[in-house]
Amino acid sequence: MAWRNLGRNRMRTGLAALGIIIGVVAIVSLGMAGVALQQQATSDLGSLTNEVSVSAGADSDEDGVTEDQVEEIESIITDAQVIPQKTNSTEIETRSGNAYVSVTGVTNASALYDVSSGTAPDRLETGALISNSTAQELGLEVGDPVAYEGQLYRIRGLIEADDGFGGGGRGELVIPVSGLRDQQYYDSVTIITGSGDTAEATADRLEERFNVDGRDEEEELQINTFAGAQESINSFLNTLQLALLGIGSISLVVASVAILNVMLMSTIERRGEIGVLRAVGIRRGEVLRMILTEAMFLGVVGGIVGAILSLAVGFVMFNLITGDAIAVLEWESSQYLLYGFVFAVVTSVLSGIYPAWKASNDRPVEALRG
Amino acid sequence: MSVIKLSDIVKRYQSGEETVEALKGVDFHAERGEMVLVTGPSGSGKSTMLNIIGLLDTPTEGTVCLDGLDVTNFDVDELTEQRRSSLGFVFQDFHLLPMLTAVENVELPSMWDRSVDRRDRAMELLKIVGLGNRLTHTPAQLSGGQQQRVAIARALINEPDILLADEPTGNLDQETGRTILEEMTRLKQQENIAIIAVTHDEQMEAYADRIVTLVDGVIQS
Repeated sequence: MAWRNLGRNRMRTGLAALGIIIGVVAIVSLGMAGVALQQQATSDLGSLTNEVSVSAGADSDEDGVTEDQVEEIESIITDAQVIPQKTNSTEIETRSGNAYVSVTGVTNASALYDVSSGTAPDRLETGALISNSTAQELGLEVGDPVAYEGQLYRIRGLIEADDGFGGGGRGELVIPVSGLRDQQYYDSVTIITGSGDTAEATADRLEERFNVDGRDEEEELQINTFAGAQESINSFLNTLQLALLGIGSISLVVASVAILNVMLMSTIERRGEIGVLRAVGIRRGEVLRMILTEAMFLGVVGGIVGAILSLAVGFVMFNLITGDAIAVLEWESSQYLLYGFVFAVVTSVLSGIYPAWKASNDRPVEALRG
Repeated sequence: MSVIKLSDIVKRYQSGEETVEALKGVDFHAERGEMVLVTGPSGSGKSTMLNIIGLLDTPTEGTVCLDGLDVTNFDVDELTEQRRSSLGFVFQDFHLLPMLTAVENVELPSMWDRSVDRRDRAMELLKIVGLGNRLTHTPAQLSGGQQQRVAIARALINEPDILLADEPTGNLDQETGRTILEEMTRLKQQENIAIIAVTHDEQMEAYADRIVTLVDGVIQS
């Protein structure tokens, strides 16, 4: 019955549904855009925020992280990669010139460095990695030798510039730990975990083990994470997302006003008819339900079509922002389809209430008179 | 017992500044199986009286008894229930719902009631009024006379005690009007109902058992 009533004025029904569709598409695609931005930001920052860096603390007796401490860290942290490093700096001499670089001694090079050419072995025993920029400056290529403290290392890979914080810009030479055997202790230990949150938890565990000793707080090791940065970026993105959703909801509010108008027009137009219904004994509640059902149908149809269109928009958007269109189907973003649909139905029914109430409480005598 | 009895009905309207007295102490009754015609010049209060009999309007003074039940002080929802169970309406311009078929229009008064299935009775009634072969036609596909027959069938779907007709032949030509009147006469006996009709149509008088004339809100006898 309600369905056929809607069918009577297809143009008007279509326009009202279009309003809802636009509202749903706006709210869903803006919500999804927020998720896409957040995912992309997380994956951009991910290489830094999931790291914990450990170095000698202010109250340490030693000038560095000792072998014993590294072993202890490794025994506590079983679910992440623990990568101890020794650092120094030196001047490299080649035929084409000299350059100052920092020297890092590390075994598991592949976990720390991405190389643009050559390879980064996960057990660096011989050879070296050198940063791309330094290699260009000095005219070095994979296979060329580099000298450090009288020892020659063959370049096995060129390190890609890091796109996160710190590090990237300066020249860097990476050699096996054995090359820095003069230094007794490790200068720092990098722990690479799965995510910003686990990095934070890992840091807390280390903090508790090494720095909280009875009631005294002695800083035996200095433990840093970048998770704080991630948190503030996340909170910024959340704010951004709320703002986007706010804009989206405004369009749905506009759509609901359109529905209100359509339902009001159609009930005024059918005033006599509703009077007949009331005269032949249709109860007020039944008239109310009929008109609310019409409004709900509008919302359901608009919501479904809107959700389908939004999904298409979402595919395009995720493809552009994160390069992974299928990610739109994950709950994190696809939940907005559900929200958009529910919002459409709820606002439609809400804006149907007044016209329905008005129509059902009209006195049949006056309604029949026209 | 009269199926409908109005006692000393006064109806006043507030029309702008002044109060209009449409009915000035009307007594009226009707019995099962009779057709009562209410006539009178326009503005005499015929429609007001029909609205009060039809429980669409409430009187300012006086009492309305439906089959011995005093319904004068019933509220909106109770009146709706009484209309649903005891009354059938036929209007001058039919008032069928355009998007429903004939049989659905006949079912309309009980369409929201899931406890009963009136489809069979609706088809039966359409056969009785001679539209057995037009069940799935929409009002636009029916002539005026056929539409009024559908309206009569609709008025009878809930087995009412009273059929109220407001100018039932007003929009029909003489010939069609006569067949409708014959139909109503047959039905009042078959279904044992009271038919109360407001009309200007003189040919209707021949079918009436009783004629009541209203002038300026007072019944002339």
